[in-house]
Amino acid sequence: MKEEGATDALLRQFLLGRVEDEERQRIESLFITDSQMKDKVLAAEQKLIDDYLDDCLTTADKEAFLLFHGDTAAQRRKLEIARSIQEWAVNRTGKTPIPATPPLSLWDRLRLPKKSILILPIAATAAVAIVFALVWVNNRRTERNREFLAVQQELAQLNTPSSLRDVPAEVHLTLKPTVVRSVESQPELLSRPNIHIVELRLLWMQEKDYPSYQAVVRRAGDGQPYTLDNLTIEKDGGKMIRIRVPARILTRGNNQIELTGVAANGSKSSSEIYSFFVSE
Amino acid sequence: MPRDLVIPPKSLDEILDWLHPDRDHAGEIYVQLRHDLTKIFTWNRCADPDGLTDEVFDRVSRKVHGVRLTFEGDPKLYFYGVARNLVKESPKRAKRQVSLEDTDLRAPEASTQDEVAHMREECLNRCLQDLDPEKKELILSYYAKDKQAKIDYRSEMARELGITVETLRVRIHRLRGTIETCIERCLDRMGQKR
Repeated sequence: MKEEGATDALLRQFLLGRVEDEERQRIESLFITDSQMKDKVLAAEQKLIDDYLDDCLTTADKEAFLLFHGDTAAQRRKLEIARSIQEWAVNRTGKTPIPATPPLSLWDRLRLPKKSILILPIAATAAVAIVFALVWVNNRRTERNREFLAVQQELAQLNTPSSLRDVPAEVHLTLKPTVVRSVESQPELLSRPNIHIVELRLLWMQEKDYPSYQAVVRRAGDGQPYTLDNLTIEKDGGKMIRIRVPARILTRGNNQIELTGVAANGSKSSSEIYSFFVSE
Repeated sequence: MPRDLVIPPKSLDEILDWLHPDRDHAGEIYVQLRHDLTKIFTWNRCADPDGLTDEVFDRVSRKVHGVRLTFEGDPKLYFYGVARNLVKESPKRAKRQVSLEDTDLRAPEASTQDEVAHMREECLNRCLQDLDPEKKELILSYYAKDKQAKIDYRSEMARELGITVETLRVRIHRLRGTIETCIERCLDRMGQKR
């Protein structure tokens, strides 16, 4: 990619119409002339459409998205087609919604035994309760998904080359791959309320270097892992990859980072695991 | 709306020569450039992106004879420069001009909406049937998961395919584009029959 390129977070802002004119022109001219940049923009656009279809956008993002991607009849048609493809795929994997039972006619009701007529109101109440419970569970899921995506976005912003370069770290922890430090004690991070961002310095011990790296943050317990792409290696003395995570997402106990090198053709190196213990 | 763009054959030859010495390759660049410029006009919320793309090629065709001898750098950037001027000149949607295509003369009746949805579903099935089985499987796998599991699952999918998640998204974006074009053509054909 030429010049400074663009982060996923910046491209998302570009697609939501939130960048200055100069930056917009830079991205657009790279989109036309640089195939790598074109792929990055298309990937960001696909991600944005996925988030829209999954109802994972914030209200402001959704409004901006619809203004730029759902404003004309042609754009709306494209979104409807995208939704149809998604629904087709979901239905194909056996998640077809259960068709509603047709309402009973008066004649059908009269033909039912008396006991059934008494049971009907109870069953209806139970059905309503189940529907409410399902709606609640679904809302909770959507809420959790939104929170997850918000953190994922925050992580992307914290780890842009300019943030890592220009914003000093509050606290840092240097980690060696688990295999290398098997005889040493596990590093520990003391969680304090005044620590908001933690910088993890992951030492890269493999001989080969890669143009970019991917880190997967796995927290103690069964939390959903977070993924950080497009990380770069620094060679100041040794070789290390720096990542920054909000302290609040690290849970008490054993946390793990899985780091993988990504070659220019997309192939990946073997992974390195880094573990550390978070205590209060 | 796209205009009936007629570029004089001599100017078209010069544009193609300027884009690339190999004629086949130049043709591919030409088609891709049209597509990219339309996208840029859309991102800038310009009314009638297709018409403006025609206008870019129209303007370049009138100057290509002289410009190609003096312009330095990627010729696509010259086209982009012309497009930027048009963005500045062009009214934004919903501000000064409303494309006829976007004008809701009256809200469509429910029966019409149902009919359109039904036609779209029928076209989707047809287009998916025509799709290469591998591609069909790819798009099925990409979308077929619960919201919660999707992010993990797509990372896993990309890993299995030996590509990054970003590359996977680009593939899905292009595949979706192919299906969209197929569905639009199918809807046009169905509309004409009725």
